[in-house]
Amino acid sequence: MTMIATPAADGIAAARRGSPRAGGRLQASQRRAGIAFALPVIALELVFLGLPIVQAAYFSFTRWDGITATWIGPDNYERLFGDPTFLRVLENNLILLAAVPIAILIPLLVAYLLNEHVPGWRFFRSAYFLPTAISWVVIGMVGLRFFAAEGILNHTLDAIGLGFINTDMLSGELSAMIAVAITFIWSVFGTNTIIFITGMATLDREVYEAARVDGASAFTTFVKITIPMLMRFMQFAFILTLITAFTALFSLIFVMTGGGPGYGSTTLEFYVYQQGFQVAVFGYAAAIGIVLFVVVFAISLIQLRIFRSRLD
Amino acid sequence: MRDPRRAIARAAMFVVLCVVVVVMLFPFAFMIQAAFRSYDQYISGSGFSLDSWAGLLRDLPVVQQLVSSTIVTAGSVVLIVVVSTAGGFAFAKLGFRGSSVVFLAILAGMMIPMQSIIIPEFVNVSRVFNVGGFRLYGSYPGAIVVYAALGSPFATYLMTTYYRGIPTELLEASVMDGGSYWQIFRKVMLPLSVPAITTVAVLQFIQVWDDLLVGLLFLKPEVRTITVGLAVLQTGRTVNVPELMAGSILSALPAIVVYLIFQRNLIAGLTMGVSK
Repeated sequence: MTMIATPAADGIAAARRGSPRAGGRLQASQRRAGIAFALPVIALELVFLGLPIVQAAYFSFTRWDGITATWIGPDNYERLFGDPTFLRVLENNLILLAAVPIAILIPLLVAYLLNEHVPGWRFFRSAYFLPTAISWVVIGMVGLRFFAAEGILNHTLDAIGLGFINTDMLSGELSAMIAVAITFIWSVFGTNTIIFITGMATLDREVYEAARVDGASAFTTFVKITIPMLMRFMQFAFILTLITAFTALFSLIFVMTGGGPGYGSTTLEFYVYQQGFQVAVFGYAAAIGIVLFVVVFAISLIQLRIFRSRLD
Repeated sequence: MRDPRRAIARAAMFVVLCVVVVVMLFPFAFMIQAAFRSYDQYISGSGFSLDSWAGLLRDLPVVQQLVSSTIVTAGSVVLIVVVSTAGGFAFAKLGFRGSSVVFLAILAGMMIPMQSIIIPEFVNVSRVFNVGGFRLYGSYPGAIVVYAALGSPFATYLMTTYYRGIPTELLEASVMDGGSYWQIFRKVMLPLSVPAITTVAVLQFIQVWDDLLVGLLFLKPEVRTITVGLAVLQTGRTVNVPELMAGSILSALPAIVVYLIFQRNLIAGLTMGVSK
């Protein structure tokens, strides 16, 4: 053992040797310290994250007003899947799902251009990433003015002589959802671009040089080299973007459309809020929240599988 | 000197990147332009005025809301940093029976969407944890613990990963003269992990400062954050665009400043999950 033995030094040394049983009493003091240091985060997560998710699962089988809960079995879920509004809401989530590949592809192309390091590329990079710092509330507020009937988009179309295609996007159900999706694509552009630039920085430049010497076009190198070598980063961006689309757009929808017109731009996460805090059917809303949780959990598990399969 | 075709290609790239800059920065230009016009000037599309700022101060308790935002954000960030550094130290360097299972369980917390737990959380905070002299609901502590619980799983993951990279020899050397675990944590681990702590703090600052849902539900109107105040003003009956844009600038400015200073940490945190 060490010359001057302190519980801390011995314990950590034992841990480094990879022998959890070594150290005996000293090891026990390290374990106690481990529990003590981990306790705050464990307590916080148990009370404010673990408990409510278990409660949400339980209350999704009840009729609940926040005070008294009556067990009704799977009624909420049966009602949910027969609820035409719920199916409408799922369709809106599908529109967001369809937006994800676009939200990946555009940043991928732009990152490819940025990676060529044309003059000013650092400025471009910072400018693209800037919206990441802006709240969805502010983004929604500008988005609202952009797509409004008398808004920026229509004024611009007028100005360039394309006034005949003017539309009031926020007043139609499908078009309002598309307006939300476009704003979403704009918002995640910077984040995804940064992910791809990071990815491209890890690529071997010699491969590109070799491809160029062989006479490969920029397009060929992009499709045959860049995309396959960035697969890991594309998967990461895909999952991150999808989870953002399904769980982070509450404020954007709240400000831009309020979920409307009708249920035109209500997504799962917004439906939880509406049913819970506007209609006040807590049990039913909890069931919707659990559906959302299952969807997000499934997406995350797919991601884990992808990562693990690569490690094997 | 150079292949002319390549020069043309690079010029074309430059043009494309400039177009993208216009698309990305245009909303900011719109915000600034609209914020410095009176309502009539905004409608007619020209002129300069500070009316909107005066109106904003009249219609919205901006100063109080900025203070609220600061308290809620600072409180949440401090709590997250405290629990995630201590937890990270425990999971990476100390360990205890079942610590890897507990660590995985905390990581699984990252997969829980806020909306899935928001109703029981609301009921707990407003009824169960709101009795006697201990009142969580409506004031800062309630919102702070909810934000901390939502932000800590990722922060703990980040800190644990970072601490795993610190060689154990370094700790041994520094405790040869009888340091306790607490001293190792304070004198060795914390100073060494300043970059990781900065990343955690910057990510969480932006997250909490920009959030609407938790603030909307867990804070009384008198202690609303600026983000919540703006969203409520937007959905109200009278909507004055220049005022809203002035408010937007005010609410966005702190996050933009943090972003500009700590861009590198933000990017490091973002790409953490994939670049290793």
